[in-house]
Amino acid sequence: MSRLLAVTVLVTAAAATAGAQDAENPFTDGPDRRMGETSFRVHCTLCHGYDAQGGAETNGPDLTTGRFRRTSTLAGLFDVIRNGVPGTAMLGINPDVSDRVVWQIITYLDSLTPNLADADLRGDAVAGRALFAGKGNCAACHMVDGDGGRLGPDLSRVGERRDPDELRADLLDPSAEVEPRWWTMTVMRADGSVVEGLRMNEDTFTLRLIDADEQLWAFSKGRLRSFDRVRTSSMPAAGGTLTDAEVDDLIAYLFSLRKES
Amino acid sequence: MKRLAMVVALAACAQVASGQEPASGTAPSFSPVTWERLLDAAEEPHNWLMYSGTFSSQRFSRLDQINAGNVGDLKLKWAYQIPVIDRAETTPLVVDGVMFVTEAPSNLTAIDAATGGVYWRYEHELPDDLRICCGRNNRGVAVLGNTLFMSTLDAHLVAIDARSGNLLWNTEVAEYSQGYSKTAAPLIVKDKVVTGIAGGEFGIRGFLDSYNAESGAREWRTYTIPGPDHPDNRSWSGESWRTGGSPTWITGSYDPELDLVYWGTGNPGPDYNGEMRLGDNLYSDSVLALDGDTGEMSWYFQFTPHDVHDWDAIQIPILADIEFDGQPRKAMLWANRNAFFYVLDRATGEFLLGEPYARQTWAERIDDQGRPVRLPDTFPTEDGTVVSPSVLGGTNWWSPAFSPRTGLFYVNAFDGEADYFVREDDYEAGFRFIGGGQQQVEAIDNYVNAIRAIDPATAERRWEFRITPQSRAGVLATAGDVVFSGGIDGYFFALDAETGEELWHMQLGRLVQAAPITYAVNGEQQVTVAAGNVVYTFGLD
Repeated sequence: MSRLLAVTVLVTAAAATAGAQDAENPFTDGPDRRMGETSFRVHCTLCHGYDAQGGAETNGPDLTTGRFRRTSTLAGLFDVIRNGVPGTAMLGINPDVSDRVVWQIITYLDSLTPNLADADLRGDAVAGRALFAGKGNCAACHMVDGDGGRLGPDLSRVGERRDPDELRADLLDPSAEVEPRWWTMTVMRADGSVVEGLRMNEDTFTLRLIDADEQLWAFSKGRLRSFDRVRTSSMPAAGGTLTDAEVDDLIAYLFSLRKES
Repeated sequence: MKRLAMVVALAACAQVASGQEPASGTAPSFSPVTWERLLDAAEEPHNWLMYSGTFSSQRFSRLDQINAGNVGDLKLKWAYQIPVIDRAETTPLVVDGVMFVTEAPSNLTAIDAATGGVYWRYEHELPDDLRICCGRNNRGVAVLGNTLFMSTLDAHLVAIDARSGNLLWNTEVAEYSQGYSKTAAPLIVKDKVVTGIAGGEFGIRGFLDSYNAESGAREWRTYTIPGPDHPDNRSWSGESWRTGGSPTWITGSYDPELDLVYWGTGNPGPDYNGEMRLGDNLYSDSVLALDGDTGEMSWYFQFTPHDVHDWDAIQIPILADIEFDGQPRKAMLWANRNAFFYVLDRATGEFLLGEPYARQTWAERIDDQGRPVRLPDTFPTEDGTVVSPSVLGGTNWWSPAFSPRTGLFYVNAFDGEADYFVREDDYEAGFRFIGGGQQQVEAIDNYVNAIRAIDPATAERRWEFRITPQSRAGVLATAGDVVFSGGIDGYFFALDAETGEELWHMQLGRLVQAAPITYAVNGEQQVTVAAGNVVYTFGLD
């Protein structure tokens, strides 16, 4: 029996008996990643999008954020791909597909999230942490592990979903790409008074904001004189207050923020 | 005459036709649905006898007890929770006080249309290795006599006794392991059950079938890709016709006077790689007009020749007699996934009009023969090409509606875009065969989605009602001059059919991805829609 075949059999047995919970991915080489990408395109892309960033056709979730809705481990991911998620559009992969292919898909998905070991970090994370709370004033709006403000994304695990280059772009040009959750809405009531806040959610008939004082507001659109979206970020560009070296430190700190850290 | 009295009188007329008294407890519910009743379905608006309401598929009801003046008082009457948690896409039928609801994955329940109480439930046994592209959907049943007909995900057609839920026959339409599946409500044509097939992402060869309603035996099959003995087969390079897709996964329409069945066809396969199937790829992305008795093709019209963006012509053909260029026309109205609105002569297939109703960046115009004049550099590439509409289309399978009272066509329209990619692909039976992919460019909140009211004589947009962030729901129009629809935000809402003004809305807690219907029971008009996993029914006090 070849080593490869033996591994496959072992993995199959593990999946059958323990739901693969204890298994490690045996197929993590470069060729496995490429095979996984190919298989992903065949089996997954219609719902999860061509580059796994979420699909339009059936609204499958983005798989590049480093977090999965249904599992926090790669072995758990194996179960989700193999067996599906009952009661959702996520069906188990075709039973004719081997466990090896499932692991290769996982290797591909894993490669889409930033790897700490691969990063070329110039800055000092300890210094970056001090900047986050101090000169950078980041903590005024962002929480890390329960400390900080509410007017920006929680960054406790930002290192899992953004690589250093993306973090640099976020810091230096925060308005380049703003998720709708972080747009600002300017609302004018019927009496002419104005409320401005971050767009927590908006639907056809209502919208919900958090204002600069971190107060929550809900409005019915039909009762408003106007409401306008501001699609730029409310975050100032870091280049205005921090030196290049300080930006590097901050990136090193942010990239270190992971579940295990 | 008061509106309520008028509705009751209307219902009473219909009861004469159907021989039934629908008031609970005073007479048995449900009576056999004859072919004559189906032909005259519009005359018994207290029932909803087929997927799109009537054979013209206008999804328009003559009921007007709920109207623009009082729809603001609409209240929840009852809710039915589907036991299998999934996303309901069902259009229920209502027959003399009994509602038939299809459920994921391929189940069917009969409930009291007055209270939501269950009569019976049929659970279809399925294999565990289904080949389905887009979720465990079922969109509805057809009824004839005492029998219901349902498509199943394992590509079978089943006949269920309407009074007991017992299985009468179970016919394999195609082999599911080869990539075939079935999700759409069949259409009754005389004594036959006409039904389509899904699998356009699996390299199937599409067809439309007709089955004997009594026995379940197949009576005719018309392939949506002609075989090599037909000249149109040359619209496919090499052997590509064998795996060319062109499925028929939504319900069609029927004109009894012309005895023509109209059915849309889906994308050619592989979806994004046109190099693998050079030519126009007939009859993908088309509407077919077929003889109701034989399935023989009378005419076809192809909306998107050589499609490379997955823009299925899987929309409901709306049949309407309208005035066009000063002449009365037996027209077919069609807002296509390719973002153009078409008017065809449904007797001949003659192209009358083709204008955009949603954002599109792929065609300069539609020429005099109805053929799109493509813009350059809009095909998918290795690095991606951004084109409107998105893969969701200008619209999709979401049912449109037409009101003979306003003369307007109502459609759920999306001004999206997508980045389309092409890749090599190898066909393997039962596996996906799509030749590329697509990616959403920006967050969905950046795009406009709206219910649009279109004048079919000119394609002019009369009004639009914007939905945030998006809708995948069908539309219902009524004689009360109300248009109903919903959104993925979980809202179900009513609009003024003339102006688009919002008249009523309610949050249902989960996305509305089905089409509403209306009916009456005990003399009271009800409106029903599925949202998330629940079927909700609304009425006045």
